[in-house]
Amino acid sequence: MLNLVPHLVNGLTLGLLFALIALGFTLIVGVMEVINLAHGSLFALGAYFALSTIGGDWLAGTGLGAWWQGLPLWSRYVLALAIGPVLAGAAGMVLELCLRPAYGKAPLYGLLLTFGAALVIEELIHLGWGTGEQHLEVPQAINGAFLMGGLIFSKYKFFAAGFAILAILAVWLLLERTPYGAVIKAGAHDSEMVRALGYDLATLRLLVFGFGAALAGLAGVIMVPIWGLRPHVGIDVVIPAFLIIAIGGVGSFWGAVLAALLVGLAVGITGAYAPAWATMSMYILLILILGFRARGLLGRKSALES
Amino acid sequence: MITLSDLPAKGGSPLTWPMGIFLLGLATAPFWLGPIGLYQYLGIEIAIWILYAMGFNLLFGYMGLHSFGHGAYLGVGAYAFGLFQLHVATSLWGGLLAAVLAATLAGALVGLFLAHRRGIYFALLTIAFGQVFWFSAIKLHAVTGGEDGLLGIPRPPLELGFARIDLNDNAAFYWFVAALVALVVPLLWRLVNAPFGRVLQAIRQNELRARFVGYEVWRFKWATFTLSAATAGLAGGLFAMAQESAYPDVMSLHQSGLIVMMVLVGGGLVSFWGPVLGVILYFIARDVLGGLTETWLLWYGLMFVVMVMVRPEGLAGLVHVLRPGKGRAR
Repeated sequence: MLNLVPHLVNGLTLGLLFALIALGFTLIVGVMEVINLAHGSLFALGAYFALSTIGGDWLAGTGLGAWWQGLPLWSRYVLALAIGPVLAGAAGMVLELCLRPAYGKAPLYGLLLTFGAALVIEELIHLGWGTGEQHLEVPQAINGAFLMGGLIFSKYKFFAAGFAILAILAVWLLLERTPYGAVIKAGAHDSEMVRALGYDLATLRLLVFGFGAALAGLAGVIMVPIWGLRPHVGIDVVIPAFLIIAIGGVGSFWGAVLAALLVGLAVGITGAYAPAWATMSMYILLILILGFRARGLLGRKSALES
Repeated sequence: MITLSDLPAKGGSPLTWPMGIFLLGLATAPFWLGPIGLYQYLGIEIAIWILYAMGFNLLFGYMGLHSFGHGAYLGVGAYAFGLFQLHVATSLWGGLLAAVLAATLAGALVGLFLAHRRGIYFALLTIAFGQVFWFSAIKLHAVTGGEDGLLGIPRPPLELGFARIDLNDNAAFYWFVAALVALVVPLLWRLVNAPFGRVLQAIRQNELRARFVGYEVWRFKWATFTLSAATAGLAGGLFAMAQESAYPDVMSLHQSGLIVMMVLVGGGLVSFWGPVLGVILYFIARDVLGGLTETWLLWYGLMFVVMVMVRPEGLAGLVHVLRPGKGRAR
């Protein structure tokens, strides 16, 4: 059975990364009850902003270009890790402003609006960065491979998985252990009551959407060195994200994490026996689970069902 | 928000004014497409997509079930047509029958899973099933030809017993497609204005109440899903003829989303004719805007976003707004 070990490890790391992608998605679904089909595009946007931060090509005209590219890669990478998510978060806030007319209407409108937004963002990426495949550099320290038990593992995958665990814990702490988290959860549960208690619901939604979008951008910067960066990477990303939400149950934090690990393992194990069908396994998993549990593993009743 | 049910029930004969205008447009298109700067093949594409969109709107607009994976059934139809031509026999009717049957079967099976689902879970499952079909089309190399698809599908001649018409010419093929559209659209019109159509609208408005009145809701959902898949299959068979190939791209989430956009922009939520307007607008936008700028999809997408924000009832909804008091119950 030893030959299965690398596939299990791969599956688990993939699952953790899927969880990182799904975090922002589930937060937005929970508070705004909007399925954000533009989540993948914000993911791509974050990664492209990081690419520009590391590359610094746009600085070339100002004379700062050479100085910037002379800085060590790790410092530019760390900066990109901050700038990518922040700008993706800003884009997310703009999207939230556009989404306002859709609140309180059928969930279809949120779905359609964000689908349109995804199309627009993808075209903007075409305009800004071209259509070709790009490569995001990572510092030497987390690049390359190492040997363990006679098997070769990629260092970067472990870095990314560790980063995903930290991000999941940080978001969990924010939601469960801070007053901000209490307001966010209350907003998801009963927005009228939150407004009655004197919280500004509009600002809350704007901030939560921005935060969710920033998490998408962060996932983008982390994932893209593994997956490669193309303008339509968004659609490859948003599909696992919503599969995970549907499997885990809408609005459930641990449901999403559990589902992400399950999906990762399913893809990893399928990859061991039938690599060509690895991606397919997640759809089969969704159909099987929703066939028996209509609300997913840990889902509760949601306004999105009507 | 205006909904379809704010339209008065029509009943009776499908020979209404809009139907007359539609059929007239369909019948005369080859004569004016050229002079206004368009081309014959565009007419074929639009006619096929009208068929697809109107079948889709049974589900989307009338029943309020939002399928985001409908391209799958168009694709199944296209592949079935192609496989029939390449492996069974070169026959027009046989191929189209295979296309419709294959899509009906696929829709009926998937429909069994979906018929008990509502709202967002319905939409998510249609995406998942759509992806399963799309993925299978790419990976089952031996059958579907993978990413390239089936190439060199012939356009079999039309055998009418007394005559044999070659459809390789686009003008002749347009007449054939237009004749099918002119047959199917009045049938759909009759269907949605029959008691069946009223039940669909009742289910959209209040599923629970429809169940209490005694309708077996899931059967209606299943039947509508299957019917709309069958229409997509017919459109798919014709599309395989038009393109002389069948490929997985039409089954992708992107393409399945585009049909939703077309139907919504045209006003499928408020009018039987909405999908027609939406399809025409999309293809004209693709050709006219696409000729001016490479980023036409950006502008189309922006227009769509603004439309969902301010006028979700679409183009056909504008007609309602311009004619206050007519057909608007509130």
